[in-house]
Amino acid sequence: MIRTELSRTLRRAFSQAVVRRRELLPTTSSPIVTTLDFFNSVAGKDKQIPTYRLLDGIGQPLEGAVLPEIDEPFARRLYEQMQLLPTLDNVLYNVQRQGKISFYMTAHGEEATIIGSAAALENDDEVLGQYREMGVLLWRGFSLDQVMAQCFGNQEDTSGKGRQMPVHFGSPEHHFHTISSPLATQIPQAAGVAYALKRTPSRKSRSIAACYFGEGAASEGDFHAGLMLASAIPSPTLFIARNNGFAISTPSTEQYNGDGIASRGPGYGIDTVRVDGNDILAVISAVREARRRCLEQGRAVLLEAMSYRVGHHSTSDDSFAYRARAEVEDRKRIDNPITRFRLFMESRGWWNADAETELKARLRDDVMKAFKRAEGLKRCELGELFTDVYGGPEPWNIREQREELTGLLKKYGSIWEPWRNELGKFKNKGQDLLGPK
Amino acid sequence: MPLLKSPPHLSNAARTLTARHAISPAAARHRRCNSTVEPPPAGGHLPSIATSQILRTKRETALRTPGLSWADEDASAPSRTIVGGRETRKMNTYQAIRDAMGIALSKDENAVVFGEDVAFGGVFRCTMGLSEEFGRERVFNTPLTEQGIAGFGIGLAAMGHTAIAEIQFADYIFPAFDQIVNEAAKIRYRSGGSFNVGGLTIRTPTMSVGHGGLYHSQSPEGFFMAATGLKVVIPRSPIQAKGLLLSSIRDPNPVIFMEPKILYRSAVEQVPVDDFELPLGKAEVLVPGSDLTLLTWGTPVYHCETALHMLNSPPPSLEAVVPKSARSAKIELIDLRSILPWDVENIVDSVNRTGRLVIVHEAGLTAGVGAEIAAEIQKRCFLKLNAPVRRVAGWDIPVALHYEKFHIPDAVRILDGVMETLSY
Repeated sequence: MIRTELSRTLRRAFSQAVVRRRELLPTTSSPIVTTLDFFNSVAGKDKQIPTYRLLDGIGQPLEGAVLPEIDEPFARRLYEQMQLLPTLDNVLYNVQRQGKISFYMTAHGEEATIIGSAAALENDDEVLGQYREMGVLLWRGFSLDQVMAQCFGNQEDTSGKGRQMPVHFGSPEHHFHTISSPLATQIPQAAGVAYALKRTPSRKSRSIAACYFGEGAASEGDFHAGLMLASAIPSPTLFIARNNGFAISTPSTEQYNGDGIASRGPGYGIDTVRVDGNDILAVISAVREARRRCLEQGRAVLLEAMSYRVGHHSTSDDSFAYRARAEVEDRKRIDNPITRFRLFMESRGWWNADAETELKARLRDDVMKAFKRAEGLKRCELGELFTDVYGGPEPWNIREQREELTGLLKKYGSIWEPWRNELGKFKNKGQDLLGPK
Repeated sequence: MPLLKSPPHLSNAARTLTARHAISPAAARHRRCNSTVEPPPAGGHLPSIATSQILRTKRETALRTPGLSWADEDASAPSRTIVGGRETRKMNTYQAIRDAMGIALSKDENAVVFGEDVAFGGVFRCTMGLSEEFGRERVFNTPLTEQGIAGFGIGLAAMGHTAIAEIQFADYIFPAFDQIVNEAAKIRYRSGGSFNVGGLTIRTPTMSVGHGGLYHSQSPEGFFMAATGLKVVIPRSPIQAKGLLLSSIRDPNPVIFMEPKILYRSAVEQVPVDDFELPLGKAEVLVPGSDLTLLTWGTPVYHCETALHMLNSPPPSLEAVVPKSARSAKIELIDLRSILPWDVENIVDSVNRTGRLVIVHEAGLTAGVGAEIAAEIQKRCFLKLNAPVRRVAGWDIPVALHYEKFHIPDAVRILDGVMETLSY
């Protein structure tokens, strides 16, 4: 009797253990099923991840939309900064066309994404950008003179002493890490920056790293590394993908076969949202909430802002070689982020035609003034060519090579035309290397 | 810290070799417990390490290591009494590296150690006990992504933190090449000095191990020699590893620190237990001489030492090929230690005295570090050279598993190169 009961108990315990083992594999908490079912969508069969939007095309709140708290002075500031971008872009684009600067990249069409996200971040959140995020710096008070100085590479260039191509801005004071050309390298770096913030008592639970990149850059291996790291080694990093439809000439349809960039977030186990990047209020709401989640969870959040690259990729690109001019003009007219917000402001009585005229004239004056000033400034001293390669004592090879250039300058600087012309553009005309005559 | 009590055996290092791809830590431990038959030692071709005169196995000589500077002589620190001077402890190379990281972590709250499998102690045991001592927030595993590890370290260092990253084998550093060369090396320069990643140190095991094949044997230092903005350092022994690693961690520049993996267990020294540093950018003369300069770094230091013994007193089997006149040659043996920037001054000084230079490295010949040094030396010592600069290096082929003994520049190849250069 006792034996029978015991064996029954044992049998039950054994079968339960078997069931439990079947239910749970050692490397996943996934439930077990007997139906063979492949899937290929985050949002369910034939569905795409929705796009969060608050304002319609004419600036009216959508039904059910909860607008972020926004007052008139803040709205005006947003609008001014949005308008400043195309003003600067138009001037610098044309200046490049005249050969006065070597290169430029505009942000046409992405004003709401950039200014909206900048406004939703704290000013001391660390920003790691790609190259189309000058608006974040402007929002934080980076001056027009500093913008011009970097693009001209003159002696006031605080971003990099004239060493990098135009639009490669940087400023520790504005918590904006210096832009570099290699795409996506900033993405895993952002995870490291965020981890450092988490380990800094004065900034823990207060600051995040915000990392911008385009949908093309998201195809780089560093994207995978960065999102995975900031998720697996919890680091408060807000990844902001600017999906503007093109990576130079490559349309996003040739960049990926999935549901944009947003669909990848859940794969890394991170909270993800897709937002209408042309709706500045939606961007502000989404970034504020994303930022809050970053701090609350201490790990990565992904935000994909959908927009359209209205301008050419850069001044080295003619985008009408791969897309119809009419298509671009249509997008500018039908869904212009600046117009949409202006209509919203007008509907509130915060803006009118006079204010518009006054603002455009003022911005253009400010930009032209800064441009003219920058144009007249010399470059840094020529000796800066050799500094900042290393911290600490200068290695012998760099010292010797500077001395070699000095010797060559003494010999050829005044008789070799290409050098003589160029020396004139530098502060002190290379005398820091040549020494007093 | 846990010190290895039994005599270190290379075969253990050899076993961990496969950890990356195949065995879990638990399986590795299990195998070690149950194995009764030891496989042949991985470093069987390096008999000289056991008797090397280069290793400092006595406390007195260890404390007299040239260039050593104590980093704990801080007037503001609490006073400490060390009876009878400084202490030393017997350590192999991985223990010395672990010791250096322990000091770095304990003195710098902003220092963190991370990489693949570092939390349980690392596949070469270099991080043993660190996560227990300093917590998983400071000593942690990363996902398996070398480009991510380098990028993550750059981000930490850009914030002024001390990032000690590990790439499991130097063979796998190439996915991080972009982050290291385009980013880490250039950040200070491109930002006009306003950002830098001086707090970044990337440690990685390097060079051959007896049976590493193509991807557990490489010596990629030459690829990084052209990456101005970086420093590249390779130690030869436990004392060197500790002192140079502490210097690398504290240097205001990103440093690639390459650890010859065959020396992890085989090279044993009395290592000063206190915090000390050895200078970067400085070569060290190990054996003074006047007839020929023999320059190398890392594992081949020991092959060179063996070659010099063979030259001075050849074993019976080699007597016929070593002419009597060569046996009394005074060869100056130099350990370069820093690949970038390298110590041109001391090498030039030596070659100007000896008139002959042989450079030995494991990496392939073409565009290896030896090419750079040879070019610079022929420029600076042209009138003093009595023979062409000779390079004894790996062949220009990948490291083939069962052919290794014929691939690496071993003692006999070095001996031959020295004799050819002496008799030129």
